[in-house]
Amino acid sequence: MGNKQTIFTDEQLDAYQDCTFFTRKEILRLHSRYYELAPNLVPMDYTADPDVKLPIQLIINMPELMENPFKERIVETFSEDGEGNLSFNDFVDMFSVLSEMAPRELKAIYAFKIYDFNTDNFICKSDLEKTLNKVTREELTEEEVTLVCEKVIEEADMDGDGKLAFADFENMISKAPDFLSTFHIRI
Amino acid sequence: MLTEEDEDYFTEPGFHLPGTPISNQMLPSLPPLPMQPQHNHHSEAGSPSSEVQQQEWIAERLEGDSRSVKELPLNLSEKRRIRERQELRMRKMSGWNSWMDRQHRAVQRLWEQTTEAFQYTEMWRGSLHRIEGHFGSGVQSYFSFLRFLVLMNFVTFLLVGGFIVIPNMVFEELQLKINTTSPVTTGNQTCFDYNPKRQGLVQFYEYVMDLLSGTGYMELTYLFYGFYENTAVDLKTFSYNIPLAYLITILFYFLLSLVWTVIRSVNRFKQSLVNEDSSLNNYSNKVFVGWDFCISEEQSVRLKQNSLRYELKMDLEEEALKKRQAAQTKLQCTRVYTLRTIVHLLVLALLGAAFYTIYVATGYSQQLISQDSVVSSNFFLGLLVQYLPSIVITAAITILPIFFNIFSRLEKYSLTWEIKLTLIRCVFLRFASLVILLYSLWTQITCNGQKDESHCKTCGYNNIYPCWETRLGQEMYKLAIFDFLTVLVMILLVDFPRRMIVQHCSCKLIQLWGQQEFQVPSNVLDLIYGQTVCWIGTFFCPLLPLLNTIKYFIIFYLKKMTLLKNCCPAKRTFRASSSNFFFLLVLLFGLALSWVPILYSIFVITPSKACGPFQGQFFIWDTIPNAVEPLPQVTKEFLYFISSQAFLVPIFLLLCILISYLVALANSYGQLVKELKVYMQLEGRDKHFLVKQINRTE
Repeated sequence: MGNKQTIFTDEQLDAYQDCTFFTRKEILRLHSRYYELAPNLVPMDYTADPDVKLPIQLIINMPELMENPFKERIVETFSEDGEGNLSFNDFVDMFSVLSEMAPRELKAIYAFKIYDFNTDNFICKSDLEKTLNKVTREELTEEEVTLVCEKVIEEADMDGDGKLAFADFENMISKAPDFLSTFHIRI
Repeated sequence: MLTEEDEDYFTEPGFHLPGTPISNQMLPSLPPLPMQPQHNHHSEAGSPSSEVQQQEWIAERLEGDSRSVKELPLNLSEKRRIRERQELRMRKMSGWNSWMDRQHRAVQRLWEQTTEAFQYTEMWRGSLHRIEGHFGSGVQSYFSFLRFLVLMNFVTFLLVGGFIVIPNMVFEELQLKINTTSPVTTGNQTCFDYNPKRQGLVQFYEYVMDLLSGTGYMELTYLFYGFYENTAVDLKTFSYNIPLAYLITILFYFLLSLVWTVIRSVNRFKQSLVNEDSSLNNYSNKVFVGWDFCISEEQSVRLKQNSLRYELKMDLEEEALKKRQAAQTKLQCTRVYTLRTIVHLLVLALLGAAFYTIYVATGYSQQLISQDSVVSSNFFLGLLVQYLPSIVITAAITILPIFFNIFSRLEKYSLTWEIKLTLIRCVFLRFASLVILLYSLWTQITCNGQKDESHCKTCGYNNIYPCWETRLGQEMYKLAIFDFLTVLVMILLVDFPRRMIVQHCSCKLIQLWGQQEFQVPSNVLDLIYGQTVCWIGTFFCPLLPLLNTIKYFIIFYLKKMTLLKNCCPAKRTFRASSSNFFFLLVLLFGLALSWVPILYSIFVITPSKACGPFQGQFFIWDTIPNAVEPLPQVTKEFLYFISSQAFLVPIFLLLCILISYLVALANSYGQLVKELKVYMQLEGRDKHFLVKQINRTE
């Protein structure tokens, strides 16, 4: 775009622009953020597509994620190995889905994965309890937690199996207009 | 490498990207794509060719899919691979197709770049970002609304300034004004007597008082209606009829405000229509959608967690309360109902008392101003008299809601109803106060509507007002200034001291009082009130939109400062989406309300004979027929036809039919949605049954 940068080739930047919701400037900015997390691990030159992964500890210390109760789940969901080690591709992907331009359906898919703590493709009662405790800092009594979980399953479960499948979750999200603005991280 | 035959194998109808449990269990060769990460883990040692098959199959699917690569729920590296395949495929295409595709891409790139450039021109983007990070999207919606008002006021000021103020200034400078547009009228000489400039030796404080209340030398500036003259410029190549321009510009000003507000509310309406009945999804909403991922400060996170916990506790309590109420005896029911009736009557009594006070105060203040003896004697007394209506209205608006809050707790409605009811009462209070003020002014100006009364006989309006439009403009000007001063005083004398007291004094009572919470609804209502005052006043005070722009601009920074320094997030989260539409609706109601005095003044009241662009006419509206007269016959006929009943009544009927059709359509869609929900439940049960059967047979 006028400035000569040597971090990515033009084709790489085009590819990133087509595959994510970011512009070239934002991708370069993301790279500098990624680099700042571990300057001795992350190369400045990405033209050869190096295979560098940052461990989860470094990622969850970012200011945008540090105070988020779901930070570990978010990073695990977007990592390829499921352990939370993010390559630059995964890093960009994560913030792209969480940006304000991502459509509702895409966000719903990833939100479901984040809230599914035991990764069995269902949000069961234990997943719900963990989610609830994270958003209320475990300050509800046991009885209240049980009551709220029962109510949630009652409201959202449509095929009556006592847990939320993706279809139930997506249906519930479609009726929540706040979702797009709350499931969003600015970087 | 796969051949063409293999591609046929994968033509699966009904491909649904987010996998369902059935496809999980029944079709292991086509795993649901959201499971991608786990599957990679498992199939590492397995067949790498199945992964390649998967890629090909996905790429094939994309040929017919309208979704772009960005929106696929896949890993970024896989998205890149798919994109590469697409590119390869494109290069194999014929020259024309690939050229079209390249142009399409270039246009997309250009579009993205322009939107990126525009993002930087978005006003106050960084501030809104910071506020969202600390306090969530509810409070941010207030500031976004404030920004919308600043922009609207500025643009409408450009309209008004460009067509009314600037031409007048230019003609004044060039000494061009020649002809008077209205017929020479006879009338009592006293009606033409208008000299607002102070005579004799003027004290300095009187100048300051004039500045603050728009009297004296201020009346002879572009600020007020009275300064504009009923002249027209008629050169050989250029003619400009000032009264006509004045009238039509004001009408366009209202039209522009209406269109802008409606466009904004249509967007919000779409969002709140989706949220048909929030009670259906209350808990799931709070658990899954309640957490604002934007919050990045530790303190705010803790507060948000507290507020969510508080809300959930409140909801559970409300449920318990409802159960208790349903099991109430008849005696308890009647007790609750009588209590509610008493509270309603109390509220009405309070409102009535407030309105009466406003009415009396306005009348008293107007009389004292006209006598001019008290006003000029003492600076503070004079200011008090001038601002008496504003003071009484602001006092009513601030004090009464406190009582409403106390009363609503006695009524024992459910929490949501309680909030809604208090809000409706506050809205009613604000608008009704303005209406009472205008009514009081109307009785003064038109002698209660009786044209034969002693004061009104000579000029058609009360002859103690040589220029009644300017007087009306002055009242609106004073309301706007006082509103701004109230905000300033509240921030300096209430918010800052409160924070300092709470921080430094560890007395139990003070800590219970706690820090100021940023209450979004009352702040938004303040903004709507200020904007309604501006709309009412613009006809009589054309520079009011500019003053409003500056006022809201400064208020943005003041409120941001007090928010970040003095406030803590409210205990009950403010749901921006559902209330956004409500507040825009209230704003539209304010706009409709502001038309009433304007239209009444244009059509019914005699314009002042001594000042203004419409002096000498019988009604302000007469400008239009007078301007239509010299037009060619065809245009005249057309315009007369459009404004006649033969045209307007059928149009009105047509609109009614269209509205009833749309309402019927909306109802039928609602029915359809309900039926589809039931259908979905049945499908789920069928699925379960089938899975059980399959497991049994296996």
